[in-house]
Amino acid sequence: MSRGQRLVLQLTGIAVTVAAWEVVGRMMGEGLLAAPSVVLREYGSLLSEGTMLRELFFSLRQMLVGFGLACLVGMPLGIAMGRSRVFDVILHPWVSMLVVLSVAALVPLFLLLFGSGFNFRAAIVFMASVWYIVLTTYHGARGVEPRFLEVACSFGASRLHVFWKVLMPALYPYLITGARIGLVHAIRAMVVAEMYVIVGYGGLIHKTGLHVSTAPLLGLLLTLMTVSIVSNWLLRLAGDWLAPWYKARLTPA
Amino acid sequence: MRYRTGILYILSICAGLLLWEVVAGQFSRVVLSPPSAVLRHLYVNTTSLLLPLLLVRSLGHAALGFLLAAAVAIPLGFLMGRSEKAFHMFDPVVNAIYAIPTVAFVPFLIIWFGLFFPGRTALVFLMCVFDMLVTVSAGARNVDPAQINVGRSFGASRWQIFGKVLLPASLPFVFTAVRIGLVRAVNAMITAELFFAAVNLGAHMQKAQNRFDSAGLLAILTILCVLGLMVQEGVKALEAKLLPWHVRH
Repeated sequence: MSRGQRLVLQLTGIAVTVAAWEVVGRMMGEGLLAAPSVVLREYGSLLSEGTMLRELFFSLRQMLVGFGLACLVGMPLGIAMGRSRVFDVILHPWVSMLVVLSVAALVPLFLLLFGSGFNFRAAIVFMASVWYIVLTTYHGARGVEPRFLEVACSFGASRLHVFWKVLMPALYPYLITGARIGLVHAIRAMVVAEMYVIVGYGGLIHKTGLHVSTAPLLGLLLTLMTVSIVSNWLLRLAGDWLAPWYKARLTPA
Repeated sequence: MRYRTGILYILSICAGLLLWEVVAGQFSRVVLSPPSAVLRHLYVNTTSLLLPLLLVRSLGHAALGFLLAAAVAIPLGFLMGRSEKAFHMFDPVVNAIYAIPTVAFVPFLIIWFGLFFPGRTALVFLMCVFDMLVTVSAGARNVDPAQINVGRSFGASRWQIFGKVLLPASLPFVFTAVRIGLVRAVNAMITAELFFAAVNLGAHMQKAQNRFDSAGLLAILTILCVLGLMVQEGVKALEAKLLPWHVRH
């Protein structure tokens, strides 16, 4: 199938979905499901009013702190676990336990531990994303082709050299994939935490959910969707730029 | 080797719990309870049958939501995976909806399904369905074409190819989808109880939070953790038993 044909199919799919949404929306009415035409009209006022974007930036900044910390901690931890059996044995059971834990269930505990301010939200985002980053990096670090390391050793590379020149480049795609998966979970956790204590963008969603019309609510969801898709796309670009030799599809685990 | 790793894991968990016990001693009980207090809470409330009862009730909407999600996601995933046209048509839409954090749909679900059982089931459904759909369609798409061609060469009908080639070849992905879906269902179970009207385990957590009883919260977290791991490892064990030809790497 050529690129053009694929694009036509993709656009058709989107058009069919939006059309179906319009029809169902008109049938059900604004209170149950606002049609896209209504949402579009409402979206202009959401943008010009400014609350939505202000809350969004405020929330994203806090989320990025938690997510950044998760990367800073998770990536070295994953490498250590993947390359050293001691770290693996000590940390693996804890990581596998914490990765299945629901973020929403952590919220009440973290409220007791951290209050409801910035620390709380950063901590929730951190806990939600760090284990996925650790596990992805871990699988990458474990799977590094031993031949590559042996070649470097044969040529008398020092340990530090092997780390920076062989191991790290082999890991770039995994670091990026880990960051992508982590970011998805970070954004989810941000919304969970904010909807629970009703602040920031999540709080705005909660409050907007009480309106009579669902149009502004759908507008907020569309913005969130855009943020998620764009950030994912940016990270993929970063991956292609960082490790162009891996551009051959590396699907997220 | 596996046996030794198991022992080391248990040792690591014991050491971690011991460390936690020591560290928690430095804090007030309100903020961080030691594992001994959590165990006591678990023991007292398990023998009084409170927690098992709450858990069984919680599992109701988790199970129903998961089954509905599986019933939708698996056939739809096969359709998307096997038809190139359907895949390209619906992949962008599925990804776009998937990109929205599911909890953000809660205000909607409240409008449509109310604050109680149907609402909770709907959230579980939504949280499971996309993860499973994406996994099944990826699996069905990646079936080795050589295998299908062999079937065709030997004159197999469409149904025979589906039943004898396609289905066995994509069963590992179905199992993966079920595993991911079940873990999501456990997460969704407690999420639903906290974000709709608080009931069962969610209500237990909220009461503990209002009493500043971190032992109660950690007890529920422990239950959820163990439940999630049991479900995940259970599906893995079942897969190893039922699909011996599929070598996990």
